[in-house]
Amino acid sequence: MSVELWVAIIAGALALAAPLVFAGIGEGFVERAGRINLGIEGMMIMGAFTGVWAASIGGPLLGLAAGVAVGLVLAVGMNLVIYRLHANEIVVGLAVTMLGLGLSTYLYQLWIPSGQTNVTVQTVPRTGLGPLADIPVVGPILFGQSPLVYAAALLLVVAWAVMRFTRFGLAVQAVGTDPASAALRGVRVQKTGASALLIGGALAGLGGAVITVGTIGSFTPDITAGRGYIVLAVVIMGRSRPIGIALGALLFAFLQSFALLSQSTALTLPSEVYQSIPYLVTLVVLVITSRNQLRRLSRTTRVRAT
Amino acid sequence: MSAFDRRRWVLTASVVLAILVVAGALIVFAGADPVVGIQGLVEGVSSSPYRVGEVLVGAVPIGIVALTLIPALRAGVFSVGAEGQIVVGAIAATGAVFAVDSLLQGTAPSILLWPVGLLAGAAGGGAMAMLPAFLAVRWRVNEILSTLLLNYLAAGLLGWTLRTWLASPDETATPQSAKLPEAAALPSLIPGTRAHWGILLVIVIAVAFFLWRRSAASTRLTVFASRPKLALRLGATRARTVYSTMLVSGLGAGVVGWIQVAGVNDRLLNSVSGGVGFSGLAVALLGGLAPIGIVLAALFFSALTAGAVGMQSATGTVPSSIAEVIKGVLLIGVACIAAYQRSAAAVLGPVGAKDAADDTAVLAPEPGGAGGGSVAEREVTIGTLAESEHAEHEGGRP
Repeated sequence: MSVELWVAIIAGALALAAPLVFAGIGEGFVERAGRINLGIEGMMIMGAFTGVWAASIGGPLLGLAAGVAVGLVLAVGMNLVIYRLHANEIVVGLAVTMLGLGLSTYLYQLWIPSGQTNVTVQTVPRTGLGPLADIPVVGPILFGQSPLVYAAALLLVVAWAVMRFTRFGLAVQAVGTDPASAALRGVRVQKTGASALLIGGALAGLGGAVITVGTIGSFTPDITAGRGYIVLAVVIMGRSRPIGIALGALLFAFLQSFALLSQSTALTLPSEVYQSIPYLVTLVVLVITSRNQLRRLSRTTRVRAT
Repeated sequence: MSAFDRRRWVLTASVVLAILVVAGALIVFAGADPVVGIQGLVEGVSSSPYRVGEVLVGAVPIGIVALTLIPALRAGVFSVGAEGQIVVGAIAATGAVFAVDSLLQGTAPSILLWPVGLLAGAAGGGAMAMLPAFLAVRWRVNEILSTLLLNYLAAGLLGWTLRTWLASPDETATPQSAKLPEAAALPSLIPGTRAHWGILLVIVIAVAFFLWRRSAASTRLTVFASRPKLALRLGATRARTVYSTMLVSGLGAGVVGWIQVAGVNDRLLNSVSGGVGFSGLAVALLGGLAPIGIVLAALFFSALTAGAVGMQSATGTVPSSIAEVIKGVLLIGVACIAAYQRSAAAVLGPVGAKDAADDTAVLAPEPGGAGGGSVAEREVTIGTLAESEHAEHEGGRP
């Protein structure tokens, strides 16, 4: 394969990784707080729809803001039923995913009845780093990206700093590792967990909006195609660390980009193989991570080894 | 006690109200009259024997998936892999039926092709379920994530299958297999409808699980969900529990794959699973993991889907995907109600919503220093989700 193709694949991978990184950082907070959000898929698809809809009215920035807003609303609802009504968070998460997939399809079909052409909105404009983007190979990969890719990278650093240096970040970790001790030390367990889910929801909604408003410019039902589940896998693979999440997201995105672009080239594997590779590799990495974690756990504690 | 009951009734009433409000709001939002919409919904499920038959046809796969998920969910094993297991079961059943039929040069009788399809489907679904079970037992891979990822791999396998070794010889708009031999098709149970003999299978499975509930094995699973160490003394090791419960759900989903091919579509289609796997999980929870509740919930889900199509044609503006929204709201409501139900299955109980002190039982010692192992630990927490919840409810149990 030619150099140009590899450049296109890697540049595409960075773009595809951005939504995973946004949603993944959010879920990183949720999992560090000892919780899990299985509603990510639903939040992302609602963010993807709302993003396009709002962008068609007020431009791409409003679209992104709408994605954040809808993710927040869903997270508030989840917090309410989980903390106030004591519902099981796994069931509620799956239900939110069902709800999001259904509601986004419903609203989309109302907005664009079958037979009408889909609405395409203006995507987030490229800033144009001028001459830098013209450097061969490195230029298109590093300097020709959508601003959202840079924003995702920036957010990684912010998330790392928040987790490490702020009172809130430490509270999240304390609640996730030992809620009883955290409570004794005066950390408000529920409030911290709820805040983590709000961050997770907002960033999942944003991640969904980044898919549509960031690159594609239009919405179709089921456009997220399981990205929410990939985010969950990536966060577990990356042990909820920003850098691990970023690497996991890049791995999945690279394989996806490779699958998209290399189908047309001389390699003669069936297209389904290319489409399946990202999920297969994610599963394999998940297995390896789980195995390593199990070993670490059994070395240090020797409990629950059965 | 009475305050407890009252709160549960208030919750149930609020859930029903919430669903009606959401449904009404969605219909009005679509610019339609809710009364016309509801009329369309009722007509969609009852205006002709054919439509009643469609409700039954839709309830069969959901019901079987939900019923065979009972043991897994009772043990706190969250398998979300029915979707992929249906697909693999359907591929295996279709392949086996065609293979046997061509071996006998098209003279294979129904009495042979039905068991071949059933067994091949069950084997395919069961094998597909064994992989995440193995990963969960051997390396503690979270079964929710592994089954979700495997669903996508199954979809890839189906797409490839329908383009290559099972592709229809005719040029078709959508990828599909050739039509199954006449003798392999499940006969219709009610004339004039698509309702097939698979309905009887649902009843058989429901009765079987009804009897199973009283068995020692069922009790062991419930104990496993709440007290793994006690279950170990009763002979329910983690490995045995995960393998057996996921195998049962895999077999059920595989049989559904065969039924959808042989009873409904007469051929293998890309849409063979069509969300049935997720609906089955929701129905199992909605039915409270009780066979009768599940059968009723499956009928309700199927009627909702069929009714929404009726609503779409009656109003002209309300998309039939309204059914999916209502199912999501319903499932949230069920989770809320179940939290106040003493006999609720462990999996439906609250998690992480308690005071911090309640959580101590779930926590393993922290490996790797401050913040060093929260993920590994969360894995452990997920594996024993039910533990602390049951401790709460145990006291109130009869």
